Amino acid sequence: MKAPAEGTLRGIATFLATFGIGVATYIAIADSGSGSPVCIAGGHGCQTVAESAYSHLLGVNVAVFGIAGYVLLLACALLRGDGARMAGFAFALVGFGFSLYLTYLELFTIDAICQWCVASAVLMTLLFAVNTIRMLAYVGRPS
Amino acid sequence: MSGRKDREARRDERLQEQQAADASARRQQLIKLASAIGFLAVAAVLVLIVISQSQSGGGDANNLADVADVNQSLGGIPQEGMVLGDPGAKVTLFEFGDLQCPVCKGFSEEILPSVIESQVRSGEAKIDFRNYTIIGPQSTPAGAAAIAAGKQGHGWNFVELFYRNQGEEDSGYVTDEFLTAIAKGAGVPDIAQWNKERKSPEVLSAVKSTTSEAERLGFTGTPSFAVEGPGTAGKQTLGTPGSSGEIESAIENAS
Repeated sequence: MKAPAEGTLRGIATFLATFGIGVATYIAIADSGSGSPVCIAGGHGCQTVAESAYSHLLGVNVAVFGIAGYVLLLACALLRGDGARMAGFAFALVGFGFSLYLTYLELFTIDAICQWCVASAVLMTLLFAVNTIRMLAYVGRPS
Repeated sequence: MSGRKDREARRDERLQEQQAADASARRQQLIKLASAIGFLAVAAVLVLIVISQSQSGGGDANNLADVADVNQSLGGIPQEGMVLGDPGAKVTLFEFGDLQCPVCKGFSEEILPSVIESQVRSGEAKIDFRNYTIIGPQSTPAGAAAIAAGKQGHGWNFVELFYRNQGEEDSGYVTDEFLTAIAKGAGVPDIAQWNKERKSPEVLSAVKSTTSEAERLGFTGTPSFAVEGPGTAGKQTLGTPGSSGEIESAIENAS
């Protein structure tokens, strides 16, 4: 099967990463102070997740790590060349792996689902797929 | 002339083949490099998971956190049983919590301190902690230990210190050693008496009865709150308020 044009993959990755920055920024701002993200579908899932011990890593809200990850993925999507292709794959793999772990925690440890975290996990999964296709199909080839 | 052209054509062809082979070899090398980077990325994720798990561990009897902080934050506020605040305060805020509940821990650290400082310390309201054991079997001995600490005037220190050192739900950390470390850290003066009382039928049945009360009030999760004062008809349920402000407003409306 022929891979989509690299320009198309970069465009999709740019859109997903920009959307991800928005989602992660909302979670980080909503969770600052004593607040928590509001679940649009209702319920206390977002509050439960935000107040769990797992919402922070080394004292920093995990959403802040999410913002950093999406910014790096956005930069990789905007840049050409093998460096950007491989870095995009690596950052997306880290983001995807950590999103899997956080989703596991929501389902089996915290027993609550935050729809904003699910949205971010879906975006990371799509970014991982797009960046993997880009790397495998175009690495070592002229931009 | 024609022979020279043929030679040039063959040379160009060989050059192109060579370039294609070089490009293919370079591509293979880059994919191998990407695989190695992939392994590093997986290692990075594992490191993040280990950090996340280690910091959320808690439940360590030999390494209690925030002992001074908890005792200082409650200093100067009267306590009787599981009630924190002036016994004559007009409004009572009831907190139905489970000591193993991570959301209750979040409330204890993020939401209640403001209420305690602004309305409990001033004598406007008092808070009555009541066990609502829903997490698992270890919630009952934990709740009973808190009530026994309350009998010696240190119930709230026990509750707050427990939350600060809470471990993974029902992971086995609520041992006699852990509860004793919390009781000592909370300043319970007579540990032998506390040990006897926390296992007494009276205290264990108190844990059950407040859990039944929470269910009668229609609560389904922890922490759940209710408020009672001159402005309410009996206990007015608040559910799980989203902020300190919501609780403070409820106390003002009840007064």
